[in-house]
Amino acid sequence: MLLACCDIRRFLDPENLIPIPRHPLGTSLGGRDGIGTKKFFGDKISSVHAKYNRIVLGAPQTHTFLTGLFILNRSEPVLEVHDVVKRYGNRDVLKGLSLAIPPGVTGLLGPNGSGKSTLIKSILGLLRINSGHGRVLSYNWPSECKAIREHIGYLPEDDCYLHGLQGIESIQMMARLSGLPRTEALRRAHEVADFCDIDQERYRNVETYSTGMRQKLKFAQALVHDPPLIILDEPTTGLDPSQRESFLDRIRMLAVEKGKSLIVSTHILHDVQRVCDHVVILVGGEVRMTESLERLQQPIEPGLHLRVEENLEGFENSLRRRGIAFERESDRELRVLGVGADQVRCLWQASEESAAPIQHLDAARNSLEDIFLNAIRS
Amino acid sequence: MPLLDVGYRTWTGERTYASTRWLVVASTGIRLIWRGTWLKRLMVVLLIPSAVALFFFGVFEQSAEDPNYRNIIRSVFAAREARATAARAGVNINEILLNPTESRHFVWSYLLFFLFRYPQAFSMILVIGLIAPRLISFDLRSRGYLLYLSRPLTPAEYVLGKACVIFFLLAMIAAVPALLIYIAGLFLSPNPWVLFSTWDIPLRVLIATCILAIPTTAIALAFSSLTQESRYAGFAWFTLWVVGSVTYQALATADQLSRREPLRWGEYSHWMLFSPYETLGYLQQEVFGLTAKVGMQWAPWCWILLVSVIGYSIAYWRVARMLRV
Repeated sequence: MLLACCDIRRFLDPENLIPIPRHPLGTSLGGRDGIGTKKFFGDKISSVHAKYNRIVLGAPQTHTFLTGLFILNRSEPVLEVHDVVKRYGNRDVLKGLSLAIPPGVTGLLGPNGSGKSTLIKSILGLLRINSGHGRVLSYNWPSECKAIREHIGYLPEDDCYLHGLQGIESIQMMARLSGLPRTEALRRAHEVADFCDIDQERYRNVETYSTGMRQKLKFAQALVHDPPLIILDEPTTGLDPSQRESFLDRIRMLAVEKGKSLIVSTHILHDVQRVCDHVVILVGGEVRMTESLERLQQPIEPGLHLRVEENLEGFENSLRRRGIAFERESDRELRVLGVGADQVRCLWQASEESAAPIQHLDAARNSLEDIFLNAIRS
Repeated sequence: MPLLDVGYRTWTGERTYASTRWLVVASTGIRLIWRGTWLKRLMVVLLIPSAVALFFFGVFEQSAEDPNYRNIIRSVFAAREARATAARAGVNINEILLNPTESRHFVWSYLLFFLFRYPQAFSMILVIGLIAPRLISFDLRSRGYLLYLSRPLTPAEYVLGKACVIFFLLAMIAAVPALLIYIAGLFLSPNPWVLFSTWDIPLRVLIATCILAIPTTAIALAFSSLTQESRYAGFAWFTLWVVGSVTYQALATADQLSRREPLRWGEYSHWMLFSPYETLGYLQQEVFGLTAKVGMQWAPWCWILLVSVIGYSIAYWRVARMLRV
């Protein structure tokens, strides 16, 4: 049998294994990138591949047609750190921080000086922590930082580039530093440059790039070695609105279609709302909040959020007459309390009666801005 | 928009060894500096002294067969320094002229040492002064070090990769021409057994190159890492060599005047430790077996060790320190 020669339990927590039916034609195994499949079974893969040609080490959606032995549980955190302390002189920047980041896109929020960049650089091993331990992508942290860096893509916040190199050369160089052979690195660099919408500018020296172009270039450099975990520090800085939307689409696509895990450190709450599944809020070197965005935005009392095109006052009067409770949010937006079918019907009736066309209607959510501010103040 | 948009594709493949990634830093650095047309032209110009040395190799080998060539050899060893060096090495100039093959080892060593000591040393100062200041300072200015070090690369490997760029240049300036001259000398020699009497010279060339490369690279990288402005690093580099030499000359002259004992050409005073140029020259002379063994031999070796350790430590410390948020 495929893995009869090794005791799986030596490597893996049994809870992380999901048995799936065995197929008579052969056995496959799969796991989302970065959760250790390759590391655990690395020496077995080539022989298995030759025998069955059915090994899948790819995106989660491929698991739907897996016919093999098991897959690794997707809910295992990609990053888990405990009691992290980092001091600069007498000042504690990270104060015994403990954190688990699940797969998907995680927004890392916090006011200036809250320790976001320090945490990211500590995870990468660029800064030496005073104490703390954990696991990143199945590697021990911080003892295996060099191996961790091989599997992490990092987009730094700083405006950084390699002087004298063309765009494509600097992507290729990053690929080679991550272990891709020279020719493969060049091929991959072009592929990723295409993906990041870097056209003919790739043949220009990077010091002539605009801020937006440099941001795209850094993104391409972060992706070129196909890392399972990508850390983006202020990724949309310097991008115009259309490029920013495209950038966020790419982030979302990488998470949903390619099974990548991304940590996005940003101050732009719209970006977090747009792409993130989870949110971690750091304040003063401590984790103030860590929760899925969906759950965070659920209001205590369910309701509906709507926007009318015009005549909001008439619409409000009409709602009052129908006994529907609501709160005004802006000059065109309301939050209606309750989500019953009757209420929705009443809303449409009120809209017709007051000649206030409803432009947008969905379930009410807490605003991320309020959540963020509350977390900081508390 | 690409002609064939394949979107994002995952990559699987064999990665190179993690311990060899510093070679990428080195190879990219070399490729980058080699793009400069001026450097290629300068390197060609700097080969002229090597061609001259090769000419003398040929003349010396021919003088074994044809006495007419010995006049040229006589003119070479008419110089004060050559006489002094020969005297220290216990070689009689007249013996060289009478029986050149017996003095082949000394003559070859002397010619190669001369090449190292003067033209190639000046070339080294010039080329390294133009290239090395940019190596780390540009990365500090453009924060490129963050891109390097976010990969599986340590600050020490980064510094090693940058050092290799300078090693490459020094090898091109010093070791490669000297070794080519040696090989050409083997072919120019009428005696096929010459290899057995001169086999140690290539090793001496390599050791002399290391003596030249290791401390000078440390100094150059330290200067480069101390500033984001490469011109300051370049200025500090040239100043070090000029001020060091001037200081040495002044102190050595004052010393001679006070002792009323003139320093003979090619000899070194203990003040040489103030001058990197003189110290390296002394050590290279020793490596080529041309120095009379008199006292203080350990001091220059300690000097290059100390300079190398301090230089590389500064470069490492500066790069590692830049990672602080």
